[in-house]
Amino acid sequence: MVQVNPGFIDQVGQAKTFNAAACMNCGVCSAVCPMGIELLPRKLFRYVLLGMEDKVRDNSATIYSCLLCKMCEVNCPAGVHIAENVRTLRYYLYK
Amino acid sequence: MSDRRIGVYICHCGGNISDYVNVETVRQAVANEPGVVVAKTAMFSCSDATQQEMIQDIREQNLDGLVVASCSPKLHLPTFREVARRAGLNPYRYTQVNIREQCSWTHTNDHAGATEKAVRLVRAGIARTNLTDPLQPIVIDTVPAVLVVGAGIAGLRAAVGLADLGLSVYLVEKSPAPGGRVGDFGAMYPHGKNGRQLIDRLVGEVRKRELVTLFTNAEMVAKSGTIGSFNVKIRVGGKAPGEINVDVGAIVVATGFDNYQPAADEYGYGMDGVITLPEFKKLLDDNAGELEYNSRQVKNIVYIYCVGSRQQDGENPNKYCSRYCCNAAVHASLQVSEKSPRAHQFHLYRDVRTYGKYELMYNEAREKGAVFCAFGGDEPPEVVSGPDGKLKVTVRDLLTYGEELAIPADLVVLVTGMVPAANSWLTELLKLPLGQDRFFNEIHPKLRPVETMVDGVFICGTCQGPKNSAESVASALAAVSQGASILKKGYVELEPLIAAVDPQACDLCGDCLETCPYSAIEQDTAAIRINSAQCKGCGGCAPVCPKGAINLKGYTDGQVKSMIDALLKEI
Repeated sequence: MVQVNPGFIDQVGQAKTFNAAACMNCGVCSAVCPMGIELLPRKLFRYVLLGMEDKVRDNSATIYSCLLCKMCEVNCPAGVHIAENVRTLRYYLYK
Repeated sequence: MSDRRIGVYICHCGGNISDYVNVETVRQAVANEPGVVVAKTAMFSCSDATQQEMIQDIREQNLDGLVVASCSPKLHLPTFREVARRAGLNPYRYTQVNIREQCSWTHTNDHAGATEKAVRLVRAGIARTNLTDPLQPIVIDTVPAVLVVGAGIAGLRAAVGLADLGLSVYLVEKSPAPGGRVGDFGAMYPHGKNGRQLIDRLVGEVRKRELVTLFTNAEMVAKSGTIGSFNVKIRVGGKAPGEINVDVGAIVVATGFDNYQPAADEYGYGMDGVITLPEFKKLLDDNAGELEYNSRQVKNIVYIYCVGSRQQDGENPNKYCSRYCCNAAVHASLQVSEKSPRAHQFHLYRDVRTYGKYELMYNEAREKGAVFCAFGGDEPPEVVSGPDGKLKVTVRDLLTYGEELAIPADLVVLVTGMVPAANSWLTELLKLPLGQDRFFNEIHPKLRPVETMVDGVFICGTCQGPKNSAESVASALAAVSQGASILKKGYVELEPLIAAVDPQACDLCGDCLETCPYSAIEQDTAAIRINSAQCKGCGGCAPVCPKGAINLKGYTDGQVKSMIDALLKEI
């Protein structure tokens, strides 16, 4: 059972630089990822939207393994700014 | 031998029939049946050329009976009756024999059998035609007035529409004021006007029209008569109670729906902070500023969708989707975003059905931060009260890979749907058929969506099934045009294929009275009579009569016996 933490949503999920509302969970991002990172970004964004702080922290190594190549972003049918979102998360984890 | 002059046409239906049934064999087998003077085959009987040929044959050969062996009478009975009429032959001397659905399509692996069956069916059709009498449609003069039951958005709009077509309207509302459910609604999508404003506007339109009489605190308590000419008794309560009798040509039922009321403890209903969608919408309308519930600020809202809709088990489950609730909940969620921009909103749904233009509303809600989680129908969320007294909703979210979530909630909104309004007295009074979902049933969901099995009684709005307000108004206007199409003509024509009592044979035993599902049989001391406008020609009464005094016109005992003899010929 994962506790949803609304405070975490406020800190990250609703930050101006993070926007994953348009994500519809299609999975194109995972399919085109040259690193084969399955987590990124669709799962990860769900964790953020739902305030699942522990899940995000558990995956910090994965978050840092992203190349920021934007392969996912150019292929995203919903136009989510994936690389920008990942940067925001890194900033948050670093803090 | 017969002195009738019957024309018989066996149809190939392109190859639909002739690929399996040897139509020439059928033609030869029936050409010498009693009464047959013309026996032909045709590639497409329904084609203009063949219709012309039939008309020519009827006129030149002086035919007094017509048989077409082709497809289902549901498809072309009216076509060939019209052919007969155009040729000067009484349309009720026409018989359609269905050798496509009943022979070629059912016996594709047995050509000989299909052909033999076709021969027998056509012989039976000829036998029936030998005994046909010319019949005339029953003509009933109509009263140019309509009773509309229910003054919600559908009933009000229907009343305005009917009045604009020049028909008098008696609009009957059982509550003290018109408006129905929409009258209680706050801001509505997409224009943002609230329901009350919409209703006030409609009521204003109603008041402008002298042809509309609105009765509030009123109910229809009795009905007699038939399509075109009903007599209705209206009981009016309130300050000046009394009863009024009115004559109307048609009745429009617009009695609406009830909100689903969750059972005690269904998703925690009854706990402080667990409310239904209508209760939530009222809360929104009553809160001018930031959303509060019981004087507590509301920061986290969890919506649970499909409560009382799409049920899979239990007694009489509501299997249908209530259609409006996804849109209403998402719309409410957007209102929350405006009133309390920092509130967190979690929507736990089974499937989001914000169809059509409402999709934009759904996108907007997500962009404003609402999170949607999908649960499986077999794994509904649970609402629990924690040790601190705070509500918590647990759910397995299919969009987060089956992760089990525990979401803290200040308010849990049960997105409840529609159920049929409790008005069994009306069902009983009008003898309206109900569907499996217990809403009123139309004759055909696509082609005859506002007509009922009871001629002259129309349904519209949510008494027929879940609809949003726009759809309710559209169906109300459909009922207007259907009702007016009867009444503006001034008369209705009904099928004459109804029961008839032979007064010589009838001994007034009355056994037939109870067999009639349409209350069309009347008895007094002198005779038993069939109400020709009410009888549907179902034939339920005929076999019950111990004296054989009841016959169904077009299907008399004599005709049915001769058909059986023809079916069994040479056996």
